[in-house]
Order: sequence, then structure tokens, then C-alpha cells
Amino acid sequence: MSFPLRLFVRWETFLLLVLCATLILGTHVSRYFATSSNISIALASITPVAIVALPMTLVIVTGEIDISVGSIVGLCATSMAVCLEHKFSVELAMVVGLLVGTLAGLVNGLIIVGFGLPSLVVTIGTLALYRGIAQIMLKERGVSSFPDWYQSLGFGTIGNGPVPWSSLLFLALFGAFAIFLHVTRWGRAIYAIGNNREAARYSGIDVRRTILGVFVASGAVSAVAAIVLTAYLASARSDTAMGLELPVITAVVLGGVNIFGGSGTLPGVLIGLLVLAFVQNAFGLAGMTPEEQEIVTGSVLVMTLAIFGLSGAVRRLWRR
Amino acid sequence: MTGIGSGPGRLARSRQGGVLARLLRVRELALIFALAIICAAVTLREPRFLESANLEQVALSATLVCIVALGQALIIIARQIDLSVGAMVATGAFVSADWLSVHPHASILWVALIGCVVGGLLGAGNALLVAGLRIPAIVATLGTLAIYRGGIIALAGGRQISATVLPDSYGHIAEIHILGLSLLVWLAIGLTCALGWMARFTRFGRNLYALGSNPEGARFAGIAVRRHIAGVFILSGVLCGLVGVLWGARFGTVDAVIAPDLQLQTISSAVVGGVSIFGGSGSVFGAALGSIIFAVLQNGVQLIGVSQFWLQAIIGAAILGTVIFYSRLARRAERSERRSRLARSRS
Repeated sequence: MSFPLRLFVRWETFLLLVLCATLILGTHVSRYFATSSNISIALASITPVAIVALPMTLVIVTGEIDISVGSIVGLCATSMAVCLEHKFSVELAMVVGLLVGTLAGLVNGLIIVGFGLPSLVVTIGTLALYRGIAQIMLKERGVSSFPDWYQSLGFGTIGNGPVPWSSLLFLALFGAFAIFLHVTRWGRAIYAIGNNREAARYSGIDVRRTILGVFVASGAVSAVAAIVLTAYLASARSDTAMGLELPVITAVVLGGVNIFGGSGTLPGVLIGLLVLAFVQNAFGLAGMTPEEQEIVTGSVLVMTLAIFGLSGAVRRLWRR
Repeated sequence: MTGIGSGPGRLARSRQGGVLARLLRVRELALIFALAIICAAVTLREPRFLESANLEQVALSATLVCIVALGQALIIIARQIDLSVGAMVATGAFVSADWLSVHPHASILWVALIGCVVGGLLGAGNALLVAGLRIPAIVATLGTLAIYRGGIIALAGGRQISATVLPDSYGHIAEIHILGLSLLVWLAIGLTCALGWMARFTRFGRNLYALGSNPEGARFAGIAVRRHIAGVFILSGVLCGLVGVLWGARFGTVDAVIAPDLQLQTISSAVVGGVSIFGGSGSVFGAALGSIIFAVLQNGVQLIGVSQFWLQAIIGAAILGTVIFYSRLARRAERSERRSRLARSRS
């Protein structure tokens, strides 16, 4: 296959076309779509999902999955809220949140690696467990005594431009994760594990430690997302980020990451996130309820996969 | 990825009555034992647990999850997964109740049929994506979860169909008692036995185990893999639609947001019931027992007076505890298997 054609059949290129279509559609839907305030709203609302999607990409590339991220975010938000209730400073609360998230990820990883259990089952268990701990800690109270500077982390934009502070945080994390996954040898090890775990083990990769590390990263970065999300919502409750795992996994899969591991890129996930953000935003501007936007999100996921699957089938027929 | 008791040695082992096969056969007994311990513990703290009215509540709440868990168990046995069950239940419940509120004099059987047909169609949508377009089940049903749930919420538009607009005969389904047990419970028992028989003794059922433990091998053995996967997804959809109808009958009120985390409840029921998440092993009886265990836990926590905020944490701990226990069990079985094989080769 010639070079331009090969570029075309890459998932990322296909997704970029979908993103362009979304943007064109958006400008037709509403004249407010292309304004900087609207773009900042669209970006700020997807940022918590986007931040969690980074370690989720690593987790899925190794062939595992982490269903418990929503509960980890909720548990971190709850711990921070309890700290604030005890009149600790917000900085201390953030450190506690990060520690709790890292610990939650470590527990996930230790159970999965230590007992050799499937991550899907273990994280379904910890999904309930972490949410339960959050409910025990905070019951039905809500805490909203966050200082103003903290809240600007969720909504404020850089110099009143279209880019929220939280997106800058995301971009920094994205850069770090992309370099880690695509440049370093540890990143290659993650792909190797996802492609063939046995072969990776025989080639000297410490599979168990890598998987443990990936789950710890998932927990720690979920804590960062908890900080951004509580700032965005200006409150923390025990049901914060319930169901977050679904949009995160949707974004990662839409970004072209193979759900069985071994392939996918972070730039692809970034485009997938942008598609999700702007599709939801455009249909929201068109007057759709959040539920109707949910249909659109699901349809975008299923249809892009179906179209790509069909195009693959057509290509196979063509070659024959 | 090796599931418990999967792989080519499985058949031979069960014929020899090896340790692993014996353990697998006993797994349901172990579950019943665990269930008895939980029941005894709850009863010691709160004797009201054994009152018939309370037991009936436990049975009813187990029933709805149990029927969905049967389909989920078969899907997991075939190495797939269905995340859209909750949305299918809500759709089946709302569409059938909506139809009934317009046709209040229609027979209940028609309502049940409509629920099943709606569920079957949604299941066929999943089947099309998974078996037809070869999208991985976890992704495809993640998408249809959003589509179905969003669709029924949009269709309902915030409406709630309450008992006042529904004919009394609908709510009476849940009150019919045969031999002291509610009709719903009998239905769940009947379905469990029927599907258990199907999985164990029919060609379709055996093929599900075969393609769950080795999809490639099943294909080479001449099993129409995609047709079986499509069939099991449609079956799950039909069961969800039926549960939707029963849901309305039991609670009297139906809206579009019922059963929000049924997918997690059914998957954990199946897993706690001993169904391997990698497919190929486990039974629908185990999944049914799993759903009963969760119902008892939920009821027990409420009854003992532990704050309801503890419930989630207890359920999570129960899931983790069981899967860790199973992995130890499987490892020990493997070890003794190896030892007995060694002894056999020496003699």
C-alpha cells in the first residue's frame, strides 16, 4: 500500500475527519459554537474525563481494565471534603487526596498482580468498595467550602482566552504520558505486555511490576481528576464522579485503543476526547437534553467502530 | 488468559472425576454453605430475618436480579459480556407499562410478550454489533448502554408511569401465590432450572461452553460461533424485557431511570456464583445463588440496623473476598492435579 493510502487508513486520520465533521456541524448548529467562551466550556467539562483517560489508555494497552476509576475519584473527593470539614488547609487536603488515590490504585494493583486475578472482576469489586468507603466517610453531606482560587482551577481560563487552567494541567500530564508511552522503553514494554504477555515475560520484562505501576498511576491520576472535578463542581459529595468509568472507556476506545490491549496511541485518545467534547457541546447548543446527548455519544462510539470495521471488511474483499 | 477449568484437559478431567472436576461440581454446594452462614449470622443478630414476610422480600428482590443474571452468566460463559442489561430492563419496563396504560383491559400475557419482544429487539441490536460487525462485546454494549438508556429517557421525557394509571391486574402479578411462594419467585426458579438444563444438556448450551473456553477450537470443530453469540445476546435481551415487565408489576411505578447499575449487580452475581470471567466455566445455578447471596446481604444490612452507607462497602468486600477465595481454590486444585498426574505417571 502506498504511503498516503496507509496514512488514510490509520484510525487517527479517520478520527480527525470525524472531528472536522463535528466542528463544521457545530458551527452550523449555533453561531455561539465557535466563540471562545463556548470552547472553554466544552474543554472544561471534558477535562476530568480526559485526565482519567490518560492512565486508562496505559491500563487498556496492557490488556487490563480499571472499572473503579469513578469510585477512586469519588473517594479522593470525599477525603478532601473530610479534610476541609476538619478545617485543614486546601493544600493539605489536595495532598491527602493524592495519597488516597495512589493508595487505592496500589490496592487494585496488589490484588490483581498478587492473586493473579482478572482486573475486570477485581475493579468491579473495588468500584463498590471505594464508593462504599466514601459513603461511610461523608454519608449524605456535601462540602462546598472550597476557596475561590481553588475553584478557578476548574473554570478559570488563561488570560480570559478559550483555554481553561485545567486544560493546561491536562496538557502537561498528556505530554508526560505521551513521552512515557511512545518514547521510553517502559512504554514499549507496556505494548509488549498487551500484545503477548508470555513473550514479554520471557524477554525479561517485569510484567507484574509494570501492571502494578500502571494501576498505581491510574489511582494517582484519578486523584488529580478529583481535584479538577471538585474545583469544577465547587463541591464534593460521596457520589461525585459516579459512572465516570463509562465516558472514560468510551473516549479511550474511540481514540483507537484496542480493548484487548497491545495497540492504540495517546494522540488518538486526545482526538477521541475532542470529538466527544465537541459532539456533546454542539448537541447541547442545539437544545438537546443531557440524555439525548448520551444517545449521540453512544452512537458516535458504535458508528465509528462499525464504519471502521466495515471499511476493514471491504478492504479485505478488495484485496481478494 | 487461563480461565478456571478451561482448556483442552477439561473434558478428560471431568470424565476421570479429577480433583478439579469434583471441586467444580461442589462449588455450588460451597455457595449454599456460605449462604447458610450469612443467613445464620443475620438471624442470630435479628431473628426477624426468618419471618416469612421478610424472606419473601428477600426472594422478590433476588428474583429480578436473578433472571437477568441467568442471561449474563450464559453470555460470560460464551466469553462475552453485556453491559446494557440495565438499560434493556428499563426500556422493556417503560414500553410495556406505557402500552398497558393505553390499553388497560389487555391481557397481561400481551404485556409480557411486548416486554420480551422489546428486550429481544434490543438484544438483537447487541447481537448485530458483536456477532455481525465483530465489535468487542464490552465496547459494543458500552455504546448500546448509552444509546438504549438515553433513548428511553428521551422517549419517556421525564414521565413516570405510576400505579394509578395502570390496571390493578398488573400489580396483582406480584401478589399471586402458589404453594406459599410468589409467582415471580416460581418464574425465576423455573427459568433457572430451564436455562440450567439447557446449558448442561442441549447442543446450544454445550457449544456455549466450548466457544467460551476456546473460540478458535470451537470454530474448527464446526460450531457456528457467530450464530451462537447472536443467540445468547438475544436471549439475554428477552430475559431483560421480561424482568422489565416484572419490575413494573412489583414496584407499581416505572420510569426511565430504573435499574441503573444492574450490569454490575448481574456480573458480580455471576462471578461470585463461580462463573469464570474468561468464559468456558461456571453455571447459571451459581449465578442464581450469587444473586440470592447479594439479596440476603442487602436485606441483612438493613435488618441488623447497620447504616445503609455500609452496604456498598460490604458488597465490594464480598466480591473481592469471593474471587480471591476462588483463585486460591483453583491454585490448590491445580497443584493436587499435578501431584496426582505425577503419581499416575510413576506407577
